[in-house]
Amino acid sequence: MMPWPFELDFMQRALIAGLAIGIAAPLVGTFLVQRRMALFGDGIGHAAFAGVGAGLLLDVWPTWTALAVAVGGALIVEWLRSHGRATSDLALALLFYSGLALGSILLAKSGSSSIGRDQYLFGSVLTANANDVRTVVLLAITIVLIVAVAARALFAVVLDEETARVNGLPVDRLNLLLAALTAVTVVAAIDVVGTLLVAALMVLPVATSRLLATSFRRTLLLASVGGAVSVIAGLSASRGFDLAPGGSIVLFAVALFVVVSLVRGVRTAPASNEHTHQH
Amino acid sequence: MKSINGSTHRRVTDIPNAQASNTMNSTTGPALVANYLSFSFDATPVLDNVNFTVNRGEFVALVGPNGSGKSTLIRILVGLLRASSGTVEVLGCEPRMLRERWRIGYVPQRPALTGDLPATVEEVIQAGRLARRGWWKTFRQADHDAVDHALAAVALTDLRKRPVTQLSGGEQQRVMIAKALAGEPDLLVLDEPIAGVDKEAQRQFRDSVVHLVAHHQATVLLVSHELGAVAADLDRVIVLKRSVIFDGTPAELTSRGVSLGIHHDDLPLWLEDLEVPGAT
Repeated sequence: MMPWPFELDFMQRALIAGLAIGIAAPLVGTFLVQRRMALFGDGIGHAAFAGVGAGLLLDVWPTWTALAVAVGGALIVEWLRSHGRATSDLALALLFYSGLALGSILLAKSGSSSIGRDQYLFGSVLTANANDVRTVVLLAITIVLIVAVAARALFAVVLDEETARVNGLPVDRLNLLLAALTAVTVVAAIDVVGTLLVAALMVLPVATSRLLATSFRRTLLLASVGGAVSVIAGLSASRGFDLAPGGSIVLFAVALFVVVSLVRGVRTAPASNEHTHQH
Repeated sequence: MKSINGSTHRRVTDIPNAQASNTMNSTTGPALVANYLSFSFDATPVLDNVNFTVNRGEFVALVGPNGSGKSTLIRILVGLLRASSGTVEVLGCEPRMLRERWRIGYVPQRPALTGDLPATVEEVIQAGRLARRGWWKTFRQADHDAVDHALAAVALTDLRKRPVTQLSGGEQQRVMIAKALAGEPDLLVLDEPIAGVDKEAQRQFRDSVVHLVAHHQATVLLVSHELGAVAADLDRVIVLKRSVIFDGTPAELTSRGVSLGIHHDDLPLWLEDLEVPGAT
């Protein structure tokens, strides 16, 4: 028997799905932030919204149509970026607006209610059934395993793409892998925080961990810890104060960043000059 | 190791370790060959019929006035750009066709380390070992040893756990050199590696490269305006001014009135005055 606020079945399901995403999403986000592509997940989230609309209209499971559209959109954006056909922000803008516009049309055509629309936009982790949780956990485990294998190579690429290319690392394939991982993360997180807030879980814990970590390995680890803490705190607040769980989780991630920034600022400001190693 | 008269260049076949690690088609012959290489950018010629050869085990400097095409040439040699015409051979292959690309170590001109990179010195250097090891494989003892050796070669062992962003510019540049060394390359290409670093950092850089050439029998191609620190160790100097206008020993270059030990701001001006063969 788990203690309050996770003593009820629906809260336990929410906790399991939330922790899976809270741990996995910042792992992918760490590489996006380092590449200055923090909003990439947001763009993919909008594409996934169109995929959800397509699934509802075609009466197939929306998670899988969202996954197909999100992965397709991510690969197209990465291709446009890497081949110089569009700048990163322009490619993302294309994805943002076309995804949202298409999603709204498809959802309206499918006859989905505004409540149904909101659950995809902002998450509905408290109503997740066992099947939803299994899917989220399966996708999260896939993400963690792939990152565990590819983390060093992805780091080498974000560190210096040109040198990695000269050395013979498969830079284009690794970039596509990161784009696909982002898409899988977004879709896995739809139930937890929704397509509009999904990028927050990929980025905010990373921003916090970068304030604390002194190595890339620890950045990954602390980002996952921050994501998990935000999920636990957000779900607790959601239960205690009857708040929307997705929004609560993201606001706790923001609060964690603010608190760590303030504490770190107070602790390091007087000594910052001493610690900088200059020759 | 030095061979000012060009008569004592090592061959890779003299070196048991290198022999064992190389493939058949790329163990013999020169390390680098440029044949009638030309490159234009938007119809503006940048390189024009560049010809030169760098033999295995040589330490060669590539110098030239600002805008002479040095960085463009380097990018073609390492496979980042395609030449408009002419051919390039790196370790016996066209650069993009070289299967074991880790055999090329490359230190680019611009500093690659961004101000907010949350990584240790060791993590950055390990990234230079990945291509050789196989990016999906876990490191073995030999890989850790290579990283340790690279750290020692640039005198950064004591700072291995330090965040790279806490290092000085000269130390960061040595990290990038160590990253290239960690792959134990047969050819090391350095594009302005000591631009803007102090004398002590230049001396440590010189020691690192001399160590690499002497103990690892690597070929080194160095682009720099600051040859003073390494002038006594160079086998040859190639002067580029869209095409090769000088290719010989440092002694031959100085006999034409160019001093390699002078301040870096002056060297490009000295080189401006060198005449293109056949131009007068």
